[in-house]
Amino acid sequence: MVSFLRRIGNRVLFRLEGLGRATMMWGLAMATLPRKGDMTLLFRQIYSIGVLSIAIIVLSAFAIGAVISLQFYTQLSRFGAEDAVGAGLALVLLRELGPVVTGLLFAGRAGSAITAEIGLMKTTEQLSIMEMMGVDPLRRIVAPRLWGGIISMPLLTAIFNVVGIYGGVVVGVYWLGADAGGFWSGMQDAVDVREDILKGMLKAAIFAVVVTWIAVFQGYDCEPTAEGMGRATTKTVVTSSVMILALDFFLTLSMYGDF
Amino acid sequence: MQQDYIIEVEDLCFTRGEKMIFDHLNLKVPRGAISAVMGPSGTGKTTLLRVIGGQLRPDSGKVLLNGKNVCTMGREELFRARRDIGMLFQTSALFTDMNVFENVAFPLRVHTSLPEDTIRDLVLMKLNAVGLRGARDLRPSQLSGGMSRRVALARATALDPDLIMYDEPFTGQDPISMGVILTLIHELNDALGTSTLLVSHDIHETLSIADYLFVIADGKVIGEGTPDQLKANESKRIHQFMHGDPDGPVPFHYPADDLRFDLLSEVE
Repeated sequence: MVSFLRRIGNRVLFRLEGLGRATMMWGLAMATLPRKGDMTLLFRQIYSIGVLSIAIIVLSAFAIGAVISLQFYTQLSRFGAEDAVGAGLALVLLRELGPVVTGLLFAGRAGSAITAEIGLMKTTEQLSIMEMMGVDPLRRIVAPRLWGGIISMPLLTAIFNVVGIYGGVVVGVYWLGADAGGFWSGMQDAVDVREDILKGMLKAAIFAVVVTWIAVFQGYDCEPTAEGMGRATTKTVVTSSVMILALDFFLTLSMYGDF
Repeated sequence: MQQDYIIEVEDLCFTRGEKMIFDHLNLKVPRGAISAVMGPSGTGKTTLLRVIGGQLRPDSGKVLLNGKNVCTMGREELFRARRDIGMLFQTSALFTDMNVFENVAFPLRVHTSLPEDTIRDLVLMKLNAVGLRGARDLRPSQLSGGMSRRVALARATALDPDLIMYDEPFTGQDPISMGVILTLIHELNDALGTSTLLVSHDIHETLSIADYLFVIADGKVIGEGTPDQLKANESKRIHQFMHGDPDGPVPFHYPADDLRFDLLSEVE
């Protein structure tokens, strides 16, 4: 019994220590003031994290929008409520699936790449030599990736939402034959800029911070071996995904729960 | 007033896990000289360089670099102090997203405001000194181990630092490169007034280049002096190390149970 409690205690302390290190890294990286050339590093990260993720975001968004539209149309047409397809599609995408699916895809593509890149730099002592040259890796390596992720993910979410709605239009209106006027006017009536669009983007921003923070920390803190890097990359994807889903529940509860 | 020593290590204690790496270690590295730290594997030679560079914090003791204690420096102060240090790691640690030219130019770009044509000239001169001017456009993955070392050496000397620390600079070099590196270390030290601290296993090369040597074992300096003084040292431990004898007070084997006991015991 004592050894069981000790094991639990050690595990809790280990987790708290990790959280402390992650918070320290975040604070120090965010506190560094930009210098000459830092914007170039940031734009390079926005390109590799954000721009290179657009293809997977567009493909996924189109497919998801199309499927939602198909399901809504099939069910709602039984009651003659095809005009509600546009409203339902927009609300589901803007409030939930846009930020959540973008976050999950972002964690899988960009998050794992960030962790692997920083982890490899640590394993090959590139971070150490940078420190010895008087260059702070938190400023040079960590901060541009954190900001790059935080800027890119909400923009990717916006692209996801637009393409997802377009996918829904292609299936619902052009293929299944729902009335275009009813589709768009239903969507216009149902969507509120503050309640749906801004709150959805707020979710995306929160997920961006969480996913990028996890990805950067796992790379920066990984054991400098091949196994350590593999574990860190897996942890990034798994932890980020679980955090996104769990956070989404609580964010939805606080934003839309009327208790 | 200029000090006589660029590095002064006082009463340094450092443990890793349960193992005591340094046990009240003391050494003073003369300014302007080539000093070398030698010792058997696992005695903490690389760790010593990292403690001096402020990458590892000791349990107790002082490491004075130009009279300032590295162990108590804040983050920003430490990064500023490191600009006067060049370091060559065992693994070269070249930046894999840059070519050879950009690797050597990196410290110049980050720490100076020199115009691009001056940076180009400086980088080409540094690369020429290590014989790799023609390899400026290659990526680190296209270099051999020895070539990577030479690029890392060019990068470590890019800012003409006060102190250059070399971690096993002779490992993996062919005889020609070895000669070039020995000459280069000597020339850098003499021409620029740089102080040099190198750790190495290669006794022949180290004795040929060093002005002053430290031999460390069991967490302490067990002998120091000029190459001639160490060669003449009658201590059994220093004699064993200088002559590479397998038998002597410095154990070859990592601590373990009796071999017979190990061989006769059941597989766990």
